[in-house]
Amino acid sequence: MNGTNFRSWFRGAKTLASGFFKKHGQMGAQAPVSTFLICIGLVAVVFLALISWMWWWFPYHLFSDEVYNVVVVNAPDSFIDYNRYMQKSRDRKSRDYGSRTDLFTNFDNIVSFKYTYDGYGSSRFFYKENNALYDFVTFGKWMREQKAYLTVVFPEGFDEKISARTKDASSEKPEILTYYRTNSLEYTYMKKDFIDEYLKGYQDYIRAKHGWVYAGTVDSQIRDDPMDLSARSSGRNYVFDILGRSFIPLLMFIVILYSAMSAGTNVISGQKELGTFTGILMTPVPRSAIIAGNLAGVSLKTLIPVTIISAPVFLIPYYRTYSNIGAVIIHLIILTVFISSVTILISVINDSVVSAQTSFLPVFLIFVSVCVTCIQNSMGREDFYLYLPVYGQFYGIGDALSGNANAGGIISTSLATLMLAVIVVLISERLLHSERYTVSIDPVTAKEIRQARSGKYTVFQIADKITDNTVFFCKEIIYPLAVIGIFQLFAVIPVVIAYMRRAEYSQYIADLQNVTEVSQVLNKTFEVIAIFMGNPVFLALMTIAYMLIIAVCIIHTKRVFHKKTFSEALRTCGLPVEKREGIIKEYLSGLLAGFIMMSCVCLILKLSGQIEFKGFGLGKEYLPLFLINLVMWFPQGASEELLFRGYMIPRIGSRYKKAVAVFFSCIMFSVFHSLNMGFTPLASVNLFLIALLFALIYIKTGSIWMTSAIHTMWNLCQGNIYGLQVSGTESHAAVINTSYLSGAKDIITGGTFGPEGGLAVTAVTSVCLIIVIILLANSRDLTRNKDA
Amino acid sequence: MISVKDIHKSYTKDSETLKGISFEIGEGKIFGLLGPNGAGKTTLMQIIATLMKPTSGTVEINGMSPDNDLLKIHKILGFLTTEIKLDPVSTPDHLFDFFAELYDIPQDEINSRKEKAFGRFGITQFANRRISELSTGMKQKISIAISLLHEPPVIIFDEPTNGLDILTSRQVTDYLKELRNEGRCIILSTHIFSVAEELCDEVAIIVDGKIVAQGTVDELTALSGEKNFEDAFFKIYVENHKEDQ
Repeated sequence: MNGTNFRSWFRGAKTLASGFFKKHGQMGAQAPVSTFLICIGLVAVVFLALISWMWWWFPYHLFSDEVYNVVVVNAPDSFIDYNRYMQKSRDRKSRDYGSRTDLFTNFDNIVSFKYTYDGYGSSRFFYKENNALYDFVTFGKWMREQKAYLTVVFPEGFDEKISARTKDASSEKPEILTYYRTNSLEYTYMKKDFIDEYLKGYQDYIRAKHGWVYAGTVDSQIRDDPMDLSARSSGRNYVFDILGRSFIPLLMFIVILYSAMSAGTNVISGQKELGTFTGILMTPVPRSAIIAGNLAGVSLKTLIPVTIISAPVFLIPYYRTYSNIGAVIIHLIILTVFISSVTILISVINDSVVSAQTSFLPVFLIFVSVCVTCIQNSMGREDFYLYLPVYGQFYGIGDALSGNANAGGIISTSLATLMLAVIVVLISERLLHSERYTVSIDPVTAKEIRQARSGKYTVFQIADKITDNTVFFCKEIIYPLAVIGIFQLFAVIPVVIAYMRRAEYSQYIADLQNVTEVSQVLNKTFEVIAIFMGNPVFLALMTIAYMLIIAVCIIHTKRVFHKKTFSEALRTCGLPVEKREGIIKEYLSGLLAGFIMMSCVCLILKLSGQIEFKGFGLGKEYLPLFLINLVMWFPQGASEELLFRGYMIPRIGSRYKKAVAVFFSCIMFSVFHSLNMGFTPLASVNLFLIALLFALIYIKTGSIWMTSAIHTMWNLCQGNIYGLQVSGTESHAAVINTSYLSGAKDIITGGTFGPEGGLAVTAVTSVCLIIVIILLANSRDLTRNKDA
Repeated sequence: MISVKDIHKSYTKDSETLKGISFEIGEGKIFGLLGPNGAGKTTLMQIIATLMKPTSGTVEINGMSPDNDLLKIHKILGFLTTEIKLDPVSTPDHLFDFFAELYDIPQDEINSRKEKAFGRFGITQFANRRISELSTGMKQKISIAISLLHEPPVIIFDEPTNGLDILTSRQVTDYLKELRNEGRCIILSTHIFSVAEELCDEVAIIVDGKIVAQGTVDELTALSGEKNFEDAFFKIYVENHKEDQ
């Protein structure tokens, strides 16, 4: 690119960018009010959730199994008495209320040590004012050993000193020192609680004991210092730290997201909507300059409200150090550029402001959920988050505001984010060369294209209509469930007989005699089924059963609906066999899609700290089990798809409305799986969503090849690759060893039901649903033309 | 100036919108494209205007191919589409400046060009009004002034007088003649026969994605044996259109 070319490139980009700031500029449509309201609503919800989370009544201890102890050094007798007194009252409370209450702060045990200064050492020194001991090497060791987060050090002869003060008020005021771990923010809060609730209570106790009237005089002092002197920052403020790590970055994120969205979705897609974009495309400005100019405009326009929001933050002296301000500004600029580039990409893909904003909404939600994850994990986050895009910015801003700006983190997260932004920009530039995203086709042609591409959904045209209610009910609704039920039962019988000969069986019967509730019987039975799932013979029988299900269903279709050939019967069950290549392509892409979906679920579980991967490998003894599992999932996925999608949907759809057919099959799918172990209401919602996703894909592709593949791969990945539970059934043979962490929340992981019972699957399925719905809508209205 | 060789365009696998179109236009000529809606006129114009790529075939403008010299072609090409497309909240003045910047017109020339163009169409008094406050005819005139502010030698007009009143329509056709006399090469599509008869040096009738007749208005009328051009067009259309498509 020579000098003149660059000059004109730059002039074009500059003009497009400055268009954002002209009074009559910004060649785009206005954002609808509804978007603004939705965003406000979203912010309100997040904010309320945040407040409830930060509030004191949030039951932290429910999510934690760790023991939090307190080490007390040189405890005076009065403190031991006080501790006993509190212990009793604590026991009483816990008897009354069933569990420990927040009144007694968060510690589990007080461990007492005697410690006398016994010589010289570099790590030991006296606090100059009161001769108290600092020996963090020793104290640190004790804290590690005792799993303690706090050390309380009394000076020797504390009680004597207090007694001396009752006689002579001018005598030395004894000090209680506290050391606490600084590696997690949580310890800071817990320390504060301990001091406020427990030690202050102790001071009151001494006063009462000596008959002093509380008159504002504090007769002992409490000093709190962090363990690590180098990181000691006197005057760290607890409220400001919380705000700096949660609310302020969240606010900044939301401001950036909203302003980038309203500016970014207005430009290219707004111009397409108005028809002004063609004019810009026809100018000799290169596409790269169009993208660059718009990106610069959106970024700069976004930075205005960000500056307005950030300025008051920096007015607070607590946050006002140059390095902190610098770090926050770098993070904000990089984040703005990245989010702006995403909005530009979305703007290029869409053709009207509303559609662009609609497609930005999932992005908005993803970013907000990243923020919420960051806030929730801020106490025990892992360092690699600091280097990730978006996460890095959130933590980076929080760290900088609480005085811990980390240069390495800033540089790496900035570079990674900028690289992502560059990739997004390059994609946008490429797309701008494609006529699909630049040209609106005339209405007549558009109509033809629409007809040619989408046609009418073939799946609803293949089935014969049954008018008799009873016949319809039996054939279309009971039949598929009966087929699946009977054949699965057949597969169970031999294994049950084998099981009955074993010792566990008598144990099972013995257990059954002791049960009091129906749910216990079910749970016992599920346990047995879980044992079966680890039995290759059972799995082999299941495989045969699933194959028989498919065969019976097809033979039934051919006979009952009087189809001449098998290929015709197959076609009416959603298994068209005419085009071989198409089938293979669809099946393979289905396998890939299933793999990606399940991997996303796993990634969410991993990133939100629910699971950990312990390593790869499949024990030799599990190899046959793995192989038979591998074989089983294929007919398993296909048979369920055949009955719930291929068989049910067109047949119900031929009698009632299409939506009824889809809805009903989804409900049936959900109900069918409710018999599995660990079923929860959320699981039924998830299964409904998954069924809906499959149904829509089936309608879109016109066959169940792809959904069968997704179904198979989903279960295979879940059970035998990532080693999670499959709809309540446990898998023994998995390539990756996974285990749930102690802090795992059932609401996310789905507990015993497997990921389908948790929010991770809800998220992934929802995103996939949105994609499929957009694809369906697109195929209906391929050529973005309002007049059509 | 413009040479179009064997253009095919298909949006879907099964159907072709353009089925092999070829023609050439020289300097100082107005070439008219006539045809019913959906015949492929707009698609053809979008392809010539480099907005779309043909499935096969080539377009050359001044010997340059859009694949290699896209931006050079944009500098010598003016394109105006059916719909009037101006930002409603903007003003003619601002829009002219905006596009003049994008067309990389030297700063000192912008104002003189603007005065000339706005004076020509009587836009001057409305220069600082919002587009949304102006009439359809005025919008079309502003559109033309802005699309041609870089004084391109090649001009593509899709339905230039569509929806305009007689006065404005007359102004536009006069302007087109003026442009032709300046030696510019113009392609226009229209379904107003009087415009075609009055302006076009050569017309091509497109039916179902193919040019079924090409020549001067008089030639085509004579060839079909009808009295006037409109009847000639209908005859040609009926002969070539297959109902089953």
